[in-house]
Amino acid sequence: MSTKFIKSKFWVEDIKEEMMAEVPISVVEPWQKDKELKYVGKPESRKDAYDKVSGTAEYTFDKSFSQIAVAKTLRSPYPNAVIKKIDVSEAIKNKNVLGILTPDNCKDNDWYSGTSKLLDKKVRYNGDEIACIVAETEQDAEEALRLIKIEYEILPHVTDLEKAKLDTAAKINDHELKPREYNRGNLEEGLKEADIIVEDKFSTSVAVHNPLEPHCSVVKWDGEKLLVFDSTQGIWAVRDTVASQLGIPASNVRVIKKYMGGGFGGKLECGKYTVMAALLSKKIGRPVKIVLDRKEMNQAVGNRPSSVQELKIGAKKDGSITAISHNAYGTAGAFPGSAGCSWPARSLYKCPNMKLVDTTYYINAGKDRPFRAPGHVQGTFAFESIIDEAAEKLGMDPIEFRVKNFTAVDPDWNGPYTSKLLREAYIAGADKIRWKENRKKAGFGGGIVKTGYGMASQIWWGGGAPPSYAILKLNWDGSAELVSGTQDIGTGTYTILAQIVAEVLEIPTRKINVVLGDTGVCPFGAMSGGSMTAPSVGPAARDAAEKMLSKLKSAAAAILELSEDKLEYSEGVFSSKDDRSKTADFSKLFGHFREGVLVTQGAREANPEGYAINTFGAQFAKVDVNTLTGKVCVKHVVAAHDIGRVLNRKTLNNQFHGGIMMGLGFALLEERVIDNYTGKLLTTNLLDYKLPTIIETPEIDVIIVSEEDNKVNNIGAKGIGEPAMIPTAGAIANAVYNAIGVRIKDLPITPDKVLNALASKNN
Amino acid sequence: MIQISFILNGKKVKLETDENRRLIDILREDFSLTGTKEGCSIGECGACTIIMNKLAVNSCLVLAGQLIDSEILTIEGVSENGKLNVLQENFLKYGAVQCGYCTPGMIMSIYALLLKNNNPADEEIKEAIAGNLCRCTGYKQIIDAARATADTDMITDLSQ
Amino acid sequence: MKNFKYIQPKSLSEVKKYFSDNHSVLYAGGTDVLGLVKKEVYNYENMIDLKSVPDLDKVEEVKGKGLKIGALVKISEIAESEIIKNKYTALSDAAQKVASPQIRNMATLGGNICQRPRCWYYRDDYACLRKDGDYCYAEEGENKYHAVIGGSPCFIVHPSDTAVALMALDAVFNIFDGNAEREVPISEFFVQPDEDVYLENILKPYEVLTSVFIPEQKNKVSRFIKFAERDVWDFAMASVAVKVEKNGNKITGGKIILGGVAPIPWYDEKINKGISGLTLDEKSIDEFSKLALQDAEPLSKNGYKITLARNLIKMILSEI
Repeated sequence: MSTKFIKSKFWVEDIKEEMMAEVPISVVEPWQKDKELKYVGKPESRKDAYDKVSGTAEYTFDKSFSQIAVAKTLRSPYPNAVIKKIDVSEAIKNKNVLGILTPDNCKDNDWYSGTSKLLDKKVRYNGDEIACIVAETEQDAEEALRLIKIEYEILPHVTDLEKAKLDTAAKINDHELKPREYNRGNLEEGLKEADIIVEDKFSTSVAVHNPLEPHCSVVKWDGEKLLVFDSTQGIWAVRDTVASQLGIPASNVRVIKKYMGGGFGGKLECGKYTVMAALLSKKIGRPVKIVLDRKEMNQAVGNRPSSVQELKIGAKKDGSITAISHNAYGTAGAFPGSAGCSWPARSLYKCPNMKLVDTTYYINAGKDRPFRAPGHVQGTFAFESIIDEAAEKLGMDPIEFRVKNFTAVDPDWNGPYTSKLLREAYIAGADKIRWKENRKKAGFGGGIVKTGYGMASQIWWGGGAPPSYAILKLNWDGSAELVSGTQDIGTGTYTILAQIVAEVLEIPTRKINVVLGDTGVCPFGAMSGGSMTAPSVGPAARDAAEKMLSKLKSAAAAILELSEDKLEYSEGVFSSKDDRSKTADFSKLFGHFREGVLVTQGAREANPEGYAINTFGAQFAKVDVNTLTGKVCVKHVVAAHDIGRVLNRKTLNNQFHGGIMMGLGFALLEERVIDNYTGKLLTTNLLDYKLPTIIETPEIDVIIVSEEDNKVNNIGAKGIGEPAMIPTAGAIANAVYNAIGVRIKDLPITPDKVLNALASKNN
Repeated sequence: MIQISFILNGKKVKLETDENRRLIDILREDFSLTGTKEGCSIGECGACTIIMNKLAVNSCLVLAGQLIDSEILTIEGVSENGKLNVLQENFLKYGAVQCGYCTPGMIMSIYALLLKNNNPADEEIKEAIAGNLCRCTGYKQIIDAARATADTDMITDLSQ
Repeated sequence: MKNFKYIQPKSLSEVKKYFSDNHSVLYAGGTDVLGLVKKEVYNYENMIDLKSVPDLDKVEEVKGKGLKIGALVKISEIAESEIIKNKYTALSDAAQKVASPQIRNMATLGGNICQRPRCWYYRDDYACLRKDGDYCYAEEGENKYHAVIGGSPCFIVHPSDTAVALMALDAVFNIFDGNAEREVPISEFFVQPDEDVYLENILKPYEVLTSVFIPEQKNKVSRFIKFAERDVWDFAMASVAVKVEKNGNKITGGKIILGGVAPIPWYDEKINKGISGLTLDEKSIDEFSKLALQDAEPLSKNGYKITLARNLIKMILSEI
C-alpha cells in the first residue's frame, strides 16, 4: 500500500468539507526555495494555444454527430404559477418533432435539493423549465415549443428583495432557509471598548457569469452506455447526476470535456439540460445536442446572489479594532441557496468581538450558483469600504489601519498560516502605485475629472486538497502522457501539469501530452473551481512523476548493475556517479522491458495538520471620475498577492487580468435587472447585461510577493482564480470615494448613481 | 430556398439554402468551419467575427442572401497548411489566449484592421477589437500580440 | 428563427408590390431587423433587400449646395469619410460612436435612422403599447434608460446617434413612396408616441428613405457628443449635437439637438432660442445649459438624465 485514508478538512466555496481522502504515505518534499527550476515557473506558451488560435480547438458547442437532433426547452413566462394542463398534441403533429418531455415524464427526477423536479408543474421563476422538445432542427424544435398549450394558475410573485423579507410575502419554497450566525467574544462589550464607531449599509446587485461559450451538452447512447460531451467544470458531478437521474450505473456514463469557453462557477453543477438531452436521446435513439441561448443563460443557470450589508465597526484610538457587526441579507433565487457574504469580516483582520449574521430570502428568480469567490467579492467590497471609513474617522492611512489589525494567526481558531505575506503585498502594491505620493484627502482637488486612489485586501482559501489523482505513462521514446480527471476550463491546467512533469523527469513539455476531462479514462481529479485545481492536481502530477523517476532509477540500477545511490539522473539519462561511461537512457532502459510504456499513479498528499491555508493579497486602483457625466474610468490597477509559487507567469497573468476585469465589471457595469411588476428578467442579452470591453481596460500590474509556500503542498503553489477578482471592486469603490468625497454604497457604481450622489453632496 | 455563390477562404462555393440561415450557420454546418464561434447570436459579443469583403463583421448578423458575390475569410483561411500566421503566432507568444472561445473572433478583427492599416496606433487596435468580448483574460495581452504583429508588417491578404 | 422570403428587387419602383399586406420589411444592413426577427418581436414573411437596388450607396458632394448620402452607405464609411469629418463633423462624430466596429461595417445610414427602439420591454415578450398592448411597462417599471420628455404614453428613447447629428445639421430626407420621390425635412420626419405609438417616423412600410441631403455648412462648426455606460456597443443615456456660427467668442446662430432623452431627437425650444448671442465663457455656458429640459418630467429612475444632458451641453460648448 502506497496510500492511506485520512480525514481531510478543507474549505471550498464557503463550505467546510470534512471527508475521508486517499493520500500517499510517503510525501514528496516541496522544491526548496533556492532550487533553480527549469520548467515550473517559466512563462511557457499554452499547450492548447495552437488549437485555439488556429480555430481547430473543438469545444462542446462544436461537437456534432451524424443523425444528431436538437433539443430546446420551454420555459415559464410567469414568475410564479401552477400548471393546470399541458396540451402537446399540436406540438407533436409535425413529423420533424421527434420527442418531448413534460413534467409527467419527470415525476421521479428530484431537483434543487428535492424542492422541485427536473420539469415541474410548479414553476417558480420566469425561465423555470416546463418541457423539452427534440426535433430535426433547432427551428423545428422552436416552432413546436410555441404550439404547446398550457393552462396556468398564476400566483402572486415577489422579485423585490425588500418585499421578500416581509412576513406577508408570497410563499415561494417550503424548504426553510435558516440564518447563519457566527459569534466571537462579545459584540456589545467590544463596542463599549471602542473610541470610535462607524456604521454603514452597502448593497450589491445580482451578477451573472455569462461565459462566452453557451452552456451546452451533446449526448449519444451506445446501447446501455451514454456518452456525454459537456461544457462543464466538473465532469464527475455531471456523471453522477446524470447516472442517478437516469437510474443507470455510473459506469455506464462517460463524460468528456476537452475545450471549454469559460465557466466561472456557472458550470460547476450538472445542468437540467444535460439530463433532459440524455432522456430524449434515449427515447429517440439518436444523438442529441442542447444549447442554451443567452436569455436562458441569464435566467436559468446561476448567478451571484445580491447582498444588503449592514456593517458596524468599533475601534480604539490607536487603531485596533474591538468589534465587528455584519448583518447581511440577500437572495439566491427561488430554491435553496446561500447569499452569505460575511467571511471577509470574519477572517481578514484581528478582532476579538464580533457578530455576523447572513440571511437568505427566496424570490421568484433563477437559483444562485458559485460565482468566482462566492460571497467574498460582495463581502469584501462592503467590508473593505467600512474599514476605509473607520480609518478615515481615526485619521489613519487605510494601509496603516489594516497593518495595525494584521493577524498572524487565523482569528477564528488561532492556528498559524502556512504563509501570509499580506503586509509584503501592501508594501509592494503601495510602492508600485506610489500611494504615499499620489493619494490625497478624499474629494481633494478641483476640475471636472477627479482622480482618486483606493485599495482593498483579499483572503481566500485556494490551497487545494486531496483527493486528486494523476496517472503518468512514460513511453519508450521518452514522451509521456499525464492523465487526470480534472478539467482545463481555460485556466492553463494542461500547461502547468506538463511543466510539473517536465520538471521532475527533465523532459521537454512538448513531449508531454496531458489528457484531462474524461471520466471514462481518467482517475478522479478536482473540480475546476474554488482556486482548487492547480494546488490539488499539480501535486498529484508531481507525485506520479516522482514515482516514475524512482521506478526508472530502480530499473537503471538493475540494468547497470549498480546500487541506486550510485546513480545520478539528468535529462533522460542515468549515469554512474563513479564511471561516466556507464549510462542508460530511455531507449536503453525500455530495450530491457517487455512493455513500451511504464505507468505510475500519483495522489495529492494530505494538507498539513495544524495550519490555516489561505491566499492573501491587496489591490490598488487609480480612478478618474468625470463629475459632469458620472463616469468612473479605472486608469490603473496594481495587484499584489501571496499565492505561493508561480507555476507559469503567462497563464498567471491571464488569470489575474481576467479576474480584475471581472471585478471591474462587477464594480461598475454588471447588474441583473428584473421587472418587479411582471417578475420577468430584463437583462437577457449582452447589451443590457454589460460586460467590460477593451475600452474599459486599465493599465494592470501583477506583483507576486511570494516565492513559494513550502508547507502547503509539494509544488508550493496556491490557486489564483478567485484571489484575482476578490479585492478589485472594493479597491475601485474606495478610489471613487477618494476621488469625489462621497461614497457610492451600491454596486455597480453607474453614472446615474454618481451624478445623483454628487448632486446630493452639493446641496 | 435561395441560391447563392460566394468566395470562401479563396475558393468559389455555391449552395442552395433556406433564406433564414445566417452565415455562421452556413460556415459551421455546411462547411464544417467550426473555428467561427457563436456566443450571443445577435451581434453583441464578436465571437463570430469573420471578414466579409475585407471588413470585419458578425457572421451571426449576415443572412444567406447577403452573401451573394461576397468574399468571406474565416479563421481557417488565415493560416496555410497548418502553419500559423504571424498574428496567430503572436497570440501564442504574448499569452493572448485563455479559454480561447473569443480568440478566432479577436484574430479576425485584428486581421481586418491590419489589412487596411499596417501601422495602426494602439488606440486603433483597441477600437478594432472593441466589439469583441473576452470574459476570461482581459485584453492587454491581445493588444500586445496585435502590436507586435503590426510592427512586423507581415500580414498578407490570403483571400486574394 | 422562422423562415422568410429574401427578395432582391432590381429597382425602387418594384419595392411597393411586396407590401400588399404588412408582412414585409425593408432590409438594408440588417443588423437591427435581424435582431427583431430573431427575438420574434416581429415575424416578417418577406425581407426586401435594398442592396440590389442600384445607386443607394453613393456619397455625392453637390458643389456649393451640400452632401447627398445614399441610405445604404455604411456607417463605417461615414465615420471614415474625410469630407464628412471636415465639413459635417457632428455626423462623423456620431457615426464613430455607433455600436461596434463589426456592426458599423454592416449597418447603413438609412437603417440607423430608421432602427427600432431599444426599450427592453419592447424588445422582449411584453405586450407593450408599441406592440399593440395596452400598457407601457417602463412608465412605472425599470425606466433608467427611458425618456424624460415627450414620452407619454410610450417612454422609448430614439436609439439613433446619426439622427441627432443630422437634425442639428438640418438634413433633408429623400423618400420614395412607390411612385415618386419627395423631400422631407428631418424636423418633420420623426413621430412622437402621442401622435402614433407604433411607429417612430412618418414612413409607410413600403416607403424607402433613399438618401439624406445635408446642406452646406458654410462658416458653421458642428459637433456631437454621446454618453453611455460603456464607451462602445451601447446606446446613449444622453447625447448632444450642436451646430453653431461664431463671431469670436460669441455664438451668432445655431442649433442644439438632444439624443437619448426623448422618443425622437429632441429640439428643446428654450436652448435653441437662447443659443444665438451666447458668449462662450464658463459662466454663460453654465447658465445657458440650465435652460435645457426645463419641461422634462422624469420617471422614477431617469432624473439623472436632465443633469447629464445639461452637462453634455456644457462639455460640447466649451470645446467648440
